Amino acid sequence: MEKQQSTEINLKKTIVTAIVGYVCLVVLVYFLMGYQLHFRASRGDLEQPAAETGTVELVQGTVVEQTFSAKIQRLQSVSVQWGTYYRSNSGTVTMELINQIDGSVVMSQSFAATEIAEGGLTTMTAEEPIETVYDAPLLLRLYADSQPGSAVSPMMCLTAPEPEEDATPFALMLNGTPTEGELCFSAAGEDYIWTGLHYWEFAAGFGAVLALAAVLIWHRYKKGKHSYVVNALIAVRKYRFLIRQLVDRDFKTKYKRSVLGVFWSFLNPLLTMAVQYVVFSSLFRFDVPYYPAYLIIGIVFFNFFSESTSLALGSIIGNAGLITKVYVPKYIYPLTRVLSSLVNLVISLIPLLLVTLVSGLMPTKAYFLVPFALVCLAVFSLGIGLLLSALMVFFRDIQFLWGVLSMIWMYLTPIFYPVSILPKSVAWVLDVNPLYYFITFARTCFIDGISPEPVIYAQCMMMALITLLIGALVFRKTQDRFVLYL
Amino acid sequence: MGKTVIEVNDVTMRFRMNNDRIMSLKEFVTTAVRGKLEYNEFTALDHVSFTVKQGETLGLIGRNGAGKSTMLKVISGILKPTEGTVRTEGNIVPMLELGSGFDMDLTGRENIFLNGAILGYSEEYLKAQYEEILAFSELGQFIEVPIRNYSSGMLARLAFSVAAMVQPEILIVDEILSVGDAAFQEKSRARMMELMGGGTTVLFVSHNMDQIREMCDKVIWLEQGRVKMAGTAKMVCDAYAL
Repeated sequence: MEKQQSTEINLKKTIVTAIVGYVCLVVLVYFLMGYQLHFRASRGDLEQPAAETGTVELVQGTVVEQTFSAKIQRLQSVSVQWGTYYRSNSGTVTMELINQIDGSVVMSQSFAATEIAEGGLTTMTAEEPIETVYDAPLLLRLYADSQPGSAVSPMMCLTAPEPEEDATPFALMLNGTPTEGELCFSAAGEDYIWTGLHYWEFAAGFGAVLALAAVLIWHRYKKGKHSYVVNALIAVRKYRFLIRQLVDRDFKTKYKRSVLGVFWSFLNPLLTMAVQYVVFSSLFRFDVPYYPAYLIIGIVFFNFFSESTSLALGSIIGNAGLITKVYVPKYIYPLTRVLSSLVNLVISLIPLLLVTLVSGLMPTKAYFLVPFALVCLAVFSLGIGLLLSALMVFFRDIQFLWGVLSMIWMYLTPIFYPVSILPKSVAWVLDVNPLYYFITFARTCFIDGISPEPVIYAQCMMMALITLLIGALVFRKTQDRFVLYL
Repeated sequence: MGKTVIEVNDVTMRFRMNNDRIMSLKEFVTTAVRGKLEYNEFTALDHVSFTVKQGETLGLIGRNGAGKSTMLKVISGILKPTEGTVRTEGNIVPMLELGSGFDMDLTGRENIFLNGAILGYSEEYLKAQYEEILAFSELGQFIEVPIRNYSSGMLARLAFSVAAMVQPEILIVDEILSVGDAAFQEKSRARMMELMGGGTTVLFVSHNMDQIREMCDKVIWLEQGRVKMAGTAKMVCDAYAL
């Protein structure tokens, strides 16, 4: 029997496990991401301008034409907005999309005028996405067979949009007469994702790098030299029991003297959600689909972040009695605090799932992608936690500063409000807010039921890893001086 | 005697001390701006070298502030020396002071495992030793009670039992624990003697010359961070007593 934690590791087994794990992961992700791995909503989609006036009454013999081009690789649909003069109309209106290069009709569809409501849209949808019209000059033609007095009118805005550089400007023609302004229409489709197209090449390339690294590590290990990876593995093995004990301790003492105990981990997000739901859906009337689910995802994620960072913040100070007497790698203290918050987070996923089910969302395979966001969030929080716990040793007022900072951070993260209410001047904050990415990732999985596009994965991972790296470097650089300030 | 398990090589430990310790960002900035950020150097250890062989008991003596506790901290890896190196073999277990490393809300049993883990023992070993630790501590049924309900004597017995019942390779004792009633004090002293006789290397700091003479093979006398004298217990203690 071993008295001490063993420092021997079975490197061969670890390497084999890592490689098998990698292959499984690659296949699993391919399957889970499915359609979203290959296509995303096109960046070249044309938005519908706000309607300002009607064009002409679309009676028989009248033609409304709008030229445009769109950088959409797979065009799926084109919509037009209509005015009805607030009366019931009759006849049929027809939408045609013509490729101006060869004059061919690529899409065409007719709609009964009776069906069209004031301000309503007609959308013609391609049976198969059209791949031949990328950036091509297109003509949208509208005509009808209605009689005057019972015809609808397509809407328009009065100013044509600024044409993009070296693109032909869009033109609106009413009965062949060029007119200033633009038809209220939109075009949507999807683009191929380059990474998705080359998924297997990427996976293989990265796998090859991994295998090469494994070979190198193995080689060094055989020669008796210990690389970083081997040392890390030994440390994990050696301190596994201690980490488990400390996490256990945090968890046991947290609810030790409460009647409901662990049930609070469960109840807390539910209660917060209920309060915020009442406040924000009746007072501010945010119009967000599946608002309870939207709320609780934000709450659970942000709660974890604020709990784990504020626990980690005091971890070095709080264990001063031990640090000055026993040698234990000091990163263990912030690490265990983040891990015990993680246990909490996993428990609060139960109320989260309950809320999504009650809101009428059906589980999809995208739910299995959520752990990625959780891992990124935990790694990110660990990075911040390491940074804070180190700074806290030298400057005790960090704790008050962090209280204020995390509150500001909360308001700058769309937890209870929709992204759309942010004015343009503030919206840039979201682009640099890692929490926004993690929360959006989870919301896409839970609420839309689909995988986020591949680039979001890369962004989440980069933000988490860079934060961890900064935190770890600061911690490492200062840890030898902790004892002197405790 | 066996191989060398502790090798202290020309160790110097210097502290940089602020005139008054700055503990907040605000103070730091304001004093830095006023240009009053000055440090006093304080040398706690000054080019100290010695070795300890396996199974030896080394006593460290000297007046308050001579650097004894600093020396122990450097050896156990808590402090990193400013200059010089320390090489050790085997795990180092400090005899913890009352309650440090204990969590008041956990039971005695949970604390044994928590403290054992902090001291670097494996789960299997602690499970196997558990009965023995419990028996030594004489806590009986109280072991399942949260230790905030313990008396200070019970706490000390638990602490001593965890630290001493497991077989450390290097044991660090900063002033011997005299805890519990007379019977337990006698028992813990006997246990210490047993450990020292049984292949464990012991580093022992004390102001009690009788204990030092009784227990140590070798003694080092530190004064103002330097080795003033090193040699057998009798020789150094006689010189120190003068």
